[in-house]
Order: sequence, then structure tokens, then C-alpha cells
Amino acid sequence: MMQYWPLMLKSAGTTLWLSWLAMLLGALGGTALALLRQIRFAPLRWVVIGYMEFFRSIPILIVLFFAFYGVPLLLEVDISPFVAATLALALHASATMSEVVSAGIASVGRGQWEAAAAAGFSWPQTMRHIIAPQALRVILPPSVGVFITTLKESSLASIIGYIELTRTGLLVRDSTGGGFLPLLALGAVYFVINYAISQVGAALERRLHIGRRSDLVGAMA
Amino acid sequence: MTEILALDGLVKRFGSRTILDGISLNVSAGEIVCFVGPSGTGKSTLLRCINGLEDIQGGRISFEGQAVQGNPSAIRAVRKRVGMIFQHFNLYPHLTALQNVMLAPVVVHKEAKAEVEARARALFDKVRLAHRINAYPAEMSGGEQQRVAIARALCTNPHLLMFDEPTSALDPETVGDVLTVMRDLALEGRTMLVVTHEIRFAADVGTRMVFMDQCRIVEQGDPRAMVAGAQTERARKFLGTIHG
Repeated sequence: MMQYWPLMLKSAGTTLWLSWLAMLLGALGGTALALLRQIRFAPLRWVVIGYMEFFRSIPILIVLFFAFYGVPLLLEVDISPFVAATLALALHASATMSEVVSAGIASVGRGQWEAAAAAGFSWPQTMRHIIAPQALRVILPPSVGVFITTLKESSLASIIGYIELTRTGLLVRDSTGGGFLPLLALGAVYFVINYAISQVGAALERRLHIGRRSDLVGAMA
Repeated sequence: MTEILALDGLVKRFGSRTILDGISLNVSAGEIVCFVGPSGTGKSTLLRCINGLEDIQGGRISFEGQAVQGNPSAIRAVRKRVGMIFQHFNLYPHLTALQNVMLAPVVVHKEAKAEVEARARALFDKVRLAHRINAYPAEMSGGEQQRVAIARALCTNPHLLMFDEPTSALDPETVGDVLTVMRDLALEGRTMLVVTHEIRFAADVGTRMVFMDQCRIVEQGDPRAMVAGAQTERARKFLGTIHG
């Protein structure tokens, strides 16, 4: 078993990279969707809400199969398991993140928009200098949760043959004649990674809140 | 004196409810116009129409000859020259007092940071808060926050200052500090519109009092004369009650 540790750690890196990329794309996509929702144009909002509800209600595995088997058929392009997995995870994360970012924006009081408008700030200026910095504090904690979920869901990529952490663990198990130990090791690696992410998230949160009980004032104004 | 603000037959409705029903008013540079009257008669809404925070359903507003309706860039141009002070201060909670004051001049007016900072520091002296320059809004009392809000409005060199019940959300103890700063501004000859329930302040500092009731201007004139004895029964009764 010991000889397989380097392999396990290397594939843990693969899982981290896949999840990080999916989360990054998901966060960017989710933010874009949340900003689109801000525009007061009903058809646009329906499209965004439809997208969100769709990806929230469909199991990731189905999206993954569609990306891996369906897209090549439809578009006649070859899709690697890595691209398919990244795409499926990012689509799913973007739906959740758009909810998270929307809630963050909504948490900033109306008075902040009015103060900015009265001072002549344009919409992008208001967003960048006044709303986003305050919304970020509300957005960050659940985003860490979304990242952890994405990382756990990335184990589904093993099903379409992508050699990430779970797949590696199962291969190790096969080559060591089955048994319980490889599964235990696999679980331990996932735990360590996710626990670390959650700690980094908590530290970031503490840093953002230093000396400013902003939530309180922002809610009032 | 030059006229800077003209309201002509202003009408504001929220759905079927009328808030302002044909308000006409002209304000010249250097005037301090105090709006008084019962709550819910549209005084605050009137200020909010002037800088386009509310759209209007009828009439015309022009500020320094520029119409404040329709086209967003015209509205923004007006907002850059009108400072507004809110009842609940609306400071930016993620920024220090100094950063609050500097943000609009740097971002909206594209001024050089060093120049803005020098001006901002001088303004903190003026509002007597030089020692609180690095505090966050949550660390300040209401009276301090409101004075930062005044400094924030002043830092853009506005041609008109609008105060929307600036002392209504304050502890009685800190009301005086804010009113003192406002008196100083009046002495400088600033043009000010003040919605207030502080009748004594209006009488002492105002150059004109506008009494509003039920969506209309009922009476306007010299503040001292109106407090001593208003022409209309309605104003006399209101000013008598509130003055004690």
C-alpha cells in the first residue's frame, strides 16, 4: 500500500486542479448570470432563472454524460474526459454561484445605491467601488461551501474514465487485491483537502471582517 | 441673484397615490430654503425628484438651466453638482471616514488623489472630526456619521446642498453638533434645501420657509415671520404645535 502514496497524492493534485478550474469558471459564470439578473428586462431574467433551475434540478452525472457522449455527437468534436468533467462541474457550480452572488448583491441596502446615485456614480462604478466590496463578505462563506461540494462531485469524473483521485484509489484497490484500506486512505485524502479549504476560507473571512462590523451598518443604510 | 433651481408644476405619483401635486418653486444662489410640514406630505420626495432619485409624472425641473428628466447623462451631470445628505447617513461601511469623503471626487470627478485628500482633510477640520478620520462608520456615533456625510457631500464642491431630515435619526445629544456644522455652511453663503422638523433651526438659519401639507406648498415666506404668525390657519396650527 505504501508504494502507492505518491500516486494518490499526484491524483489528489489532479482532482484539485479539475475542481479549481471548474469552480473558477463557475464563479465567473455565476457572477455574470447574477449581473444579468440585475438588468430589469423580463425575458433576460427568465432565461437566467430557467438556466439556474435547469442545472440545479439535473444530476451532475447526467450533465457529465451529456457533455462526454452527447456533445461529440451533436457538434462532431472530440471531448476529452477532462474537458467534459470541467464543463459539467462548472455548469453546475455556475447555477449555484449565481444564486450566491445574487444574494450577496441583495444584502447591500438600498441606501447604498441611493448614496452612490446621488453622488453621480455610474452603474459600473457603483458596482465596483460600493456594492461589490460589501457583497463579497456575504458571498465568500457560501462560496467556500460550493468549492468543497464541487471538489467532492468531481469524483463522478471517474465514471467517464478520467483518472482523478477516486479513480486512482479504486485502481489501487484493484491492484492490491481489494480490501478496505485503500478506500479508507481515499476518504482520508478527501477529508484533509476539504478541511484545509474550509480553514483557508475561515481565515479569509476573518481577514475581511477585521475592525469593521459592516454588515450591521450596511443593512441599516 | 442668479436662479439655480426651477420647479414648475411638479407632479409625483406612486401608482395611483399622488405624492406631489403641482409644486412650483424657484431657488436662487445663496438661499437656504427650509421645508417644514407634517410627515408624509412629500417633502423628502421633493428633494429626491430634484436629483432624479425619483422620476416624475408631470411638470419640469431644471437645475442651472439643465432639465433633470429623461436622459441619464443629464441627470448624472446634475448629480455631480448637487450634494445630498440622507436621514440615515448612508456612509459606505467598508470604507474609512476619509475614504468615504474621497471616493466620489476620485472616481466620479476623476480628480487627482493628492488634491482630493488635502481638501478632504480640511473638510474634516471644518466638521470638527479631524480625530476620526480613520474610523469606520460602524465605530462612529450617529452625529459623527452625519458630519462625515456632510463632508462627503462638500468634497465634490456642489452648487447645491440638499439635507433630507439630517437630524431625525440622531440622539438628541448629537443633533446640536450637526446643526452647528449646518449653521457654519449657511454663514459661508451655501445654497441649501433642508427638509427638517427643527423649526427653531429653520427660523434662525433659513432665508425662506416652505410649509407643505397634503402634497402641496401651502405657504412660504420669511421663516421668522412665519413662526411668529403664519398667514394660513394650517401653517399657524402646525408651527404652533411643533414650536410648543
